[in-house]
Amino acid sequence: MSNKLTTALLASCALGLLSGAAMAQDFDYGKFDGYTLKVKLIGGTQYEKLYTRIPEWEALTGAKVEIVSSKNHFDLDREIKQDIASGSITWCVGSNHTSFAPQYGDLYVDLKELIPQSELDKYVPGTLASAMVDGRLVQLPRVTDVSNLYYRKSLYEDPARQAAYKEKFGTDLAPPQTFDELKQQVIFFADPPNLYGTAFAGKDEGMSGRFMEILRANGGDIFDENWKPIFNSQAGVDAVNWFKDIYDAKAVPAGTINYTWDDIGAAMAAGQLAVDLDWPGFAGFYSDPNASKIASELGFATAPKGTAGIRGGWSGSHSFSVTQQCDNKPAAASFAVFLTNDESEMMEAQAGNLPTRTATYPAVKEWFKANDKAFMVDMFTAWEASLAEARTPPLIAQWIEVSNVIWPNVQAAIVGQKPVQQALDDAVAEATVIMQDAGLLQ
Amino acid sequence: MTRFFRSPQATPYLLLLPAIAVILAVVLVPLLVSLWTSFTGYNLTKPATLFQWVGLRNYQRVLASSDFWWAFGRTVLFITIALNLELLLGLGLALLVNKITWGQRTLRTIMMFPMMFSPILVGFQFKYLFNDAVGLVNNALFDLGLIREPIAWLVDPILANFAIIFAEVWMSTSVFAILLLAGLMALPKEPLEAARVDGCNPWQVFRHITLPFLMPFIYIAMTIRSLDVARAYDMVRIMTNGGPAGRTELLWTLMTRTGYQNSQMGMANAMGYVSIILSIAFTVFYYRKLTQARTFMGGAQ
Repeated sequence: MSNKLTTALLASCALGLLSGAAMAQDFDYGKFDGYTLKVKLIGGTQYEKLYTRIPEWEALTGAKVEIVSSKNHFDLDREIKQDIASGSITWCVGSNHTSFAPQYGDLYVDLKELIPQSELDKYVPGTLASAMVDGRLVQLPRVTDVSNLYYRKSLYEDPARQAAYKEKFGTDLAPPQTFDELKQQVIFFADPPNLYGTAFAGKDEGMSGRFMEILRANGGDIFDENWKPIFNSQAGVDAVNWFKDIYDAKAVPAGTINYTWDDIGAAMAAGQLAVDLDWPGFAGFYSDPNASKIASELGFATAPKGTAGIRGGWSGSHSFSVTQQCDNKPAAASFAVFLTNDESEMMEAQAGNLPTRTATYPAVKEWFKANDKAFMVDMFTAWEASLAEARTPPLIAQWIEVSNVIWPNVQAAIVGQKPVQQALDDAVAEATVIMQDAGLLQ
Repeated sequence: MTRFFRSPQATPYLLLLPAIAVILAVVLVPLLVSLWTSFTGYNLTKPATLFQWVGLRNYQRVLASSDFWWAFGRTVLFITIALNLELLLGLGLALLVNKITWGQRTLRTIMMFPMMFSPILVGFQFKYLFNDAVGLVNNALFDLGLIREPIAWLVDPILANFAIIFAEVWMSTSVFAILLLAGLMALPKEPLEAARVDGCNPWQVFRHITLPFLMPFIYIAMTIRSLDVARAYDMVRIMTNGGPAGRTELLWTLMTRTGYQNSQMGMANAMGYVSIILSIAFTVFYYRKLTQARTFMGGAQ
């Protein structure tokens, strides 16, 4: 009884911040006096604020947390694979991500066995579904990642540009509804080297993801239902041509083929791009007048649709997972729930991240209104709207490997080193070998 | 057997035993395991695949892969250009610093600064410098009126490789400079003075006395650097990750992607064993040169 009382007291302290948005916690975080929970967490400024809540969990449960590793996701991934290879899984909770999760096999437990359904029901259903691998809930989502449009209102509201656009295309200049329209606007706005239409992540999984997004919006897909790679379809060719057209028109910086998220963020914040299709985490950065030149004119719109009339939003979540080898799984599950509970999600959402709990959306909109950041309400509305149609990358262990044959070939097509169809055919041939070796494709 | 271990002849072996055991554990065993895995379909995240024998399949694929051979050739070129540039610049720096009498220690310390940075940070620094839109290099060129359109440093096939070599030279030239400076400081003064008395000009002194004396130091520096040049991996990973379209792909980026990202450790080890020829060739070459240079120094000629 006193445990529950302490829980309730601590929870209400934390909820004090939320001014009335508090809800009774019915999840029992348990008592693990004297236990030390070993965790491997993703590091980096935007991720570490949440870890300031760890002492609260320690006070609540009597356990101690030892962070045995804190690295960026790629290094963490490498380390976890080395742990699997050497059979030294001595830790309990690890940071995870939708794209990485399928690779780890049975390293992580099915959290449905550790967390009551009533608690799981509090998460956004689509987000929770994307955290499953082979029907097992191997991760508890922490923040969701789906791309939508940031645009500069000053450009869209400029009368001269509005008139020129109307004259040229016969339609009003407004945030784009389709990828074709986006391409048209990107080329229209471009005035290099002072202003580019946009920039895209041109290498690594970012490039594969961007390609997959447009491929799916065009009605295509990476694999058919028998895991046969089929992205060299017409939808795939159209998707690559979308990138190639804006690249050839010099509507994107020539270096975009080598950009990752940090470069794109820097270019957008420096006022060099007209629109940016990007993850929610940049909202805070772009709207900060000290860091961004476009803070006063930031607009938000839901991602455009492809030729098939659908959105192909590439979605994934950062998450926490619990290892099979963990010597105290209830403590590990309690920790994972605590770091994704209503208060934790509120903390993530206030920083501009897309939360994974349904109740957080209305709560954080209220909070933004009350804190003179009404424009952030628009952002959450635009991003929330795209969640329903968002899809994860194929949840198979081979995805990263397949992605590593897609992006260099797409790059080759964009810079004109290979014809588009040949680049995609080459990638499909390599992907087919990967799927055959894995035994998924006969 | 017991008698042997108690005899004086056994003492050196017994004393070396711990070292031998450590070397076996940290060098030989991993070497044998990696050689074994190169004949298996070993997947890092599936320990059971360690015993999935695939024979020469990995080697056949590596030898038939044009991507691999392009990366191989590019790596040889990268090492050759980078090491020679580093040598020339390092030698120049060492000669200059050696002339200084006041503040030399401070300068030596400053010279070592680039070595203190982690290659990842060097990668981020140069990726930013060479960024086509917000990078310092392009901005400087614009302001000086030298260009009208931004240069895509990290995209163009030649410029991208240039940018990477530039970053590598920046990071590692000081290794050469420090080693060669140590050589210069150990140089006996008498032959130099004798040569000057005999009327040699500075170039002749450098060419016939300083340089031959420095050669062993140069070859040691070359050997060390040709082996640890793979440290540049982190830098390339950040700057281009082998792209765009494989234009800057080096053996290290290719192997790391295969082994760790794709988890195909068996395949990556096969690549490793093929490319080990490269390391052996460079090491043998420089050791031969080193022996020759030492014979020369010993007064044989």
